[in-house]
Amino acid sequence: MSRNLVELVRRHHALAAPSALDVLKEAVEQRGEVTDEDRREAARRSGLPEAAVYGVSTFYDDLLQPRGARHVRVCTGTACFAATGGAHVEELRAATGLELGERAADGSTSLAETVCLGFCHSAPALRVTGSELDVVDAGPGAVARVLADACVAAAEPDWSSTLPEPVLTRPGDWSGLRRVLEEEISPEALLEAVTAAEIRGRGGAGFPAGVKWGFARAAAGEQKFIVANGDEGDPGSYIDKYLMERNPALLLEGMALAGYAVGAAHGFVLVRSEYPRSKPALEAAAEAARAAGWLGERFDVTIVEGAGSYVVGEETALLACLEGLRGTVSARPPFPAQEGLYGRPTVVNNVETLCNVPFVAARGADAYRALSPDSDTAGSKLVCFNERFARPGVYEVPFGVSMRWLCEQLAGGLRDGRSIKGVQIGGPLGGILPAERLDAAFDFDALAAEGCMLGHGGILAFDDATSMRDVARHLLRFGAHESCGKCFPCRIGLRRAHAMFAGEQPVSRERLEQLLETLELGSLCAHGGGMPAPIRSLLRWWPDELGLSA
Amino acid sequence: MSELTVTVDGTTVAVPAGATALDAARAAGRWVPTLCFDARQAPFGACRACLVGVEGAANPLPACTTRCREGMAIDTEDPAARRVAHAVVELVLSELPRAPAPDTELAQVAQRLGVGAPRWPGETHAPADPDVRHPYLAFQHELCISCGRCVRACDELQGTFALTATGRGFHANVAAGLDEGFRASACVACGACADTCPTDAITEVSLLP
Repeated sequence: MSRNLVELVRRHHALAAPSALDVLKEAVEQRGEVTDEDRREAARRSGLPEAAVYGVSTFYDDLLQPRGARHVRVCTGTACFAATGGAHVEELRAATGLELGERAADGSTSLAETVCLGFCHSAPALRVTGSELDVVDAGPGAVARVLADACVAAAEPDWSSTLPEPVLTRPGDWSGLRRVLEEEISPEALLEAVTAAEIRGRGGAGFPAGVKWGFARAAAGEQKFIVANGDEGDPGSYIDKYLMERNPALLLEGMALAGYAVGAAHGFVLVRSEYPRSKPALEAAAEAARAAGWLGERFDVTIVEGAGSYVVGEETALLACLEGLRGTVSARPPFPAQEGLYGRPTVVNNVETLCNVPFVAARGADAYRALSPDSDTAGSKLVCFNERFARPGVYEVPFGVSMRWLCEQLAGGLRDGRSIKGVQIGGPLGGILPAERLDAAFDFDALAAEGCMLGHGGILAFDDATSMRDVARHLLRFGAHESCGKCFPCRIGLRRAHAMFAGEQPVSRERLEQLLETLELGSLCAHGGGMPAPIRSLLRWWPDELGLSA
Repeated sequence: MSELTVTVDGTTVAVPAGATALDAARAAGRWVPTLCFDARQAPFGACRACLVGVEGAANPLPACTTRCREGMAIDTEDPAARRVAHAVVELVLSELPRAPAPDTELAQVAQRLGVGAPRWPGETHAPADPDVRHPYLAFQHELCISCGRCVRACDELQGTFALTATGRGFHANVAAGLDEGFRASACVACGACADTCPTDAITEVSLLP
């Protein structure tokens, strides 16, 4: 990321200028597209050079898809794919006569692709917006209802905890921060407790939160920031959506505690634009927390909405998006803990990671480490299931339980008499576990041994009717579409990998594996580096379905 | 300034603290392929052609963004690193509708690595006539490999911010101003972008083929 542009943005932000991305988003909301006049206006108001604004305006999905009076966004995420094989998209295209990303000549309707709306418990999902209308309809019949202009708001998923004492599904009550302030626990002692609790990052990488906080606390500089990564882009995952919309106070408390421990007075939550209810829910919770005295002078937060990009979930890209710049990945070092938002030391934690902190503050590290008795991993985890399961929803579970128990007991196996062919765990960069390996434990190391990962905890079943070549094509199309374009292996390699599966032609196994190695070893971030993982699973468990040649 | 001692392909070299593995390799007189690197600019880490083996690291690391540590042992001919570098250059050539001119940096790196026919052919950038709306500077967008060197030259060397990366993924490219050509942008015709471009995607009008 350009240090000059970041400094430019910092100075304008300090003068309360809007970000270029905010101004461009406003233009799309008001007029359905971005024009050069909007770009000039964004440059004037944000202080960014016109060229940089142009670059931003050509990066984010939300700015690139023209909107008609009625804008239909169809989810092409993996849960919706697992439900229909993509038939819902074809049905919409045929009925509207529109391609994805196209607006009717008369401006009445527009069709766009979105990944993903977080209604994976009730696929396929569509979001329809228009004047005084913003509805997500999901489940069987959703396409027909949308086409008949009779969409119905889909029900939010159920949630529950299997723990005797919930940590993440307990409504946030500020008891952790209350204890810290009342008992005058020092920032150092809180940091020590979080480190001792061994909270591992829940966004996918599993990095210890206490260590990250320690780096930021030790970094030079007066001004530091806490950033909650609410860009839960993994298709099939709606865990952070649940936390941000239905338990927002818990996240805000976790951020305030992080700020206290690290020495930061301000925090930002970057929420996905695919979750339109998240920002209002967090803002309402923040307002209530200010009224109660929990947020304010000591620590306050700003909620910022993204604009449609999966890779913005990567921490350096996330910071670029918060600054209103192109959401591309930057090489590390420098790490955000040294040089993050606006060039200042910054802690970037996943939403769920931060939601673990209030329990540690209130009850201590030992109580936290005891939450998963059958595992060395501390704490609990939220998981969620796609609509193929009989009882999809959000569940709080201990680490170390078996995948079989999660899939068959907790989520009730698949509905309609279907059986599991494989489950993809932890998002599109996670491996696929075949049904015969479900006895693997739900834990970091155990899943890694299966070529899988815990990731963010989404559990997505493909049923026995699924073509695994279609799965490869679906995943690689997503990977290529979402590549930020920064590093060469991902930018070109994912395009080529998708092309290998795009038609019905045989796929050279040798060339595919050479390409996968290039992606794995060469990519700058986990997107290009991780996309081969599910393809490796497909090669391992279902080679006969992939149409391979030598 | 304190110094570090590292070895590159068995040769010991002293480098200043903060030096990268690429600095060390060059100090030792060893060649490491690069495409997005320009010594006048901050390392970018995009092309991934500069991967090297580092003792103790499970996988090759990009030389341009890996800082040296005392005693670090660097292998510029690590087989996995070279396989990836070869594949990266092959992929880059495969996105161009025509081969880059022999005197360009990309063509020379490809020749030195012995890159031949692409194993993964496919869609290329759309061929187009050169954009010659500026009297001196021309775009040949179909030759752009999104290395970011022109954008960084305009930002870090000239301080003009007339250029930007555009698009996303395979369709990434560069533009001046609001993509109306150099002349309508803030460009001051310093030529730093054309000077650094490794493919002649930006070049001088007088040098167009």
